[in-house]
Amino acid sequence: MIKNILTLIQNDLAIAVKNKTIFLIFFIPLFVFFTLKIVDSKNETAHAMNLGLINNEAYSPVVIQSLKSSDKIFNVIYVETIEEGKNEIRQKTLDGLLLNTNELIILKKESLKTISMIEGLYSLQQTAENKKSWVSSVTALQSTDIQKDSLPTWILMMVLLVGFVIMPSQVAEEKEKKLLVSLLQTPMREIEWLMSKIFTGMILATASILILHLIGNFHTGINLNYILIILSGSFCFSSYGVLLGFLCRNQASARILGVIFYLPHLLPSALSDFSRKLDVVAPLLPSFHFYESIKHILFDQARIGSLGVATVYMLSVGVITFAASYFLMKKRWLM
Amino acid sequence: MIEIQNLTKVYKGTRGLFPTSFKVEKGELIAIVGHNGAGKSTLLKILSNTHLPDSGSVLIDGIDLSERLKMVRKIGFVSETPNLYDFFSVEYNFKLFAKLFDIKKERIDEIIKEFNLENYRHTKVQNLSKGLKQRVNIGRSILSDPPVILFDEPTSGLDFEMTKEVFKLLREFHASGKTILFTTHRPEEIKNLATRLMVLHKGKVVFDGKPSAYFESHLHNELYLQ
Repeated sequence: MIKNILTLIQNDLAIAVKNKTIFLIFFIPLFVFFTLKIVDSKNETAHAMNLGLINNEAYSPVVIQSLKSSDKIFNVIYVETIEEGKNEIRQKTLDGLLLNTNELIILKKESLKTISMIEGLYSLQQTAENKKSWVSSVTALQSTDIQKDSLPTWILMMVLLVGFVIMPSQVAEEKEKKLLVSLLQTPMREIEWLMSKIFTGMILATASILILHLIGNFHTGINLNYILIILSGSFCFSSYGVLLGFLCRNQASARILGVIFYLPHLLPSALSDFSRKLDVVAPLLPSFHFYESIKHILFDQARIGSLGVATVYMLSVGVITFAASYFLMKKRWLM
Repeated sequence: MIEIQNLTKVYKGTRGLFPTSFKVEKGELIAIVGHNGAGKSTLLKILSNTHLPDSGSVLIDGIDLSERLKMVRKIGFVSETPNLYDFFSVEYNFKLFAKLFDIKKERIDEIIKEFNLENYRHTKVQNLSKGLKQRVNIGRSILSDPPVILFDEPTSGLDFEMTKEVFKLLREFHASGKTILFTTHRPEEIKNLATRLMVLHKGKVVFDGKPSAYFESHLHNELYLQ
């Protein structure tokens, strides 16, 4: 009995090596290792925060002098108007804006950056032995609602799940079972098959978001900008997923490749809020642009026109991966 | 009708199909025989547009193989393993391909009747026997009524009764004027079936003629009996 169990375990491990499942055993720890390297560690020298001041406004000389002499805690950046400052905060080029009325404008009240900023200002005030409080009120540009705040992450997870797990597996299944080969013996054009796959991915992703809204009771309005950005994102990741499926001979490989792409696209985007280092790396990923765009639309009521770069980036990734899939299909790649 | 010129497909340098040229006239029933790896399936897969050739040309009624959308109406391909949507019914499989070919529903009924599949119309393909699956596979491949039908090892893995049934079908197709090319690695089976026999050996045509001539020659002894 033990001999048989050992033989079967050996066989299972051989299958895991053969269908490349074993790669995940190495990939996930390696991914976590590299992500932790990128995420700011507690021992790391803290980055100076970007604090905005309004040009030509009268600030207390003590405040100005203290801020300028504390270049390890704050980078002082002057803006012309309050509106400009608010925009910079939304675009994350400023961490906060201090007005001469001692009002501090930040993005969210309950964020690590806000706590660090208030701590920094308070310690400077103590050092300057200034008894008058430098910050009398804090105004957040985005209200904090844990349920609503988590919505972009759920949406990102679902769109990436469709793109990187469902689509590659479906494409690889049609290749593995030679169903695509039989379809190619009909007057169906290659481009029609590819478009049908991408539309299927977009329908699945959009339907899952719709269901999320219906049962999740998220208090957000659905408008045209929101729908357009979801369609752009689902196009991008469905097309990306079809390409991954095309690179695989069978479903097992497609599932593994899907996970290998899923995690790096999900985590840096969702974690970029907490790490300055990831904030630098994440914009290379289309998932980051999708995630940020959803946040801007949901929380800042941004319009799609103001998210031009993100939209063009996602659509470009979609078009490039579509073209690559078309090329592989024409070449009958691994079919 | 079919004109093949210097058709070549090489896999990793050694196997495949080396420059091959031949012509097929309308209404021929050609058996392509050879050992595993001789290039039989490669030849049919190229003709059915499943694999792309490295070089050479194929013309069917003057249409080049690269014109796939026109070519698929000329050729029906029956693969060795039925590649069907096995989680759907027999009828669904026919309907899907009929839609893609823009074929009327009546043709599906005709095929279902012709292949004795009436009782299995709504049965999932995965629940059918191997022989029935092969019947559905053949039926689907001839939905568009193509003048040329390619069969890749149509009797592989089938029992004696089913093999007889497939050969009967080949005869019927041939009698209705279709041009048929089929592969097998058991030449004795098709002695009285094919009108022409081609032997492929290591990617090259080593015999092309009447089946009787082949069996009288020393080649059959060399390739199969020694």
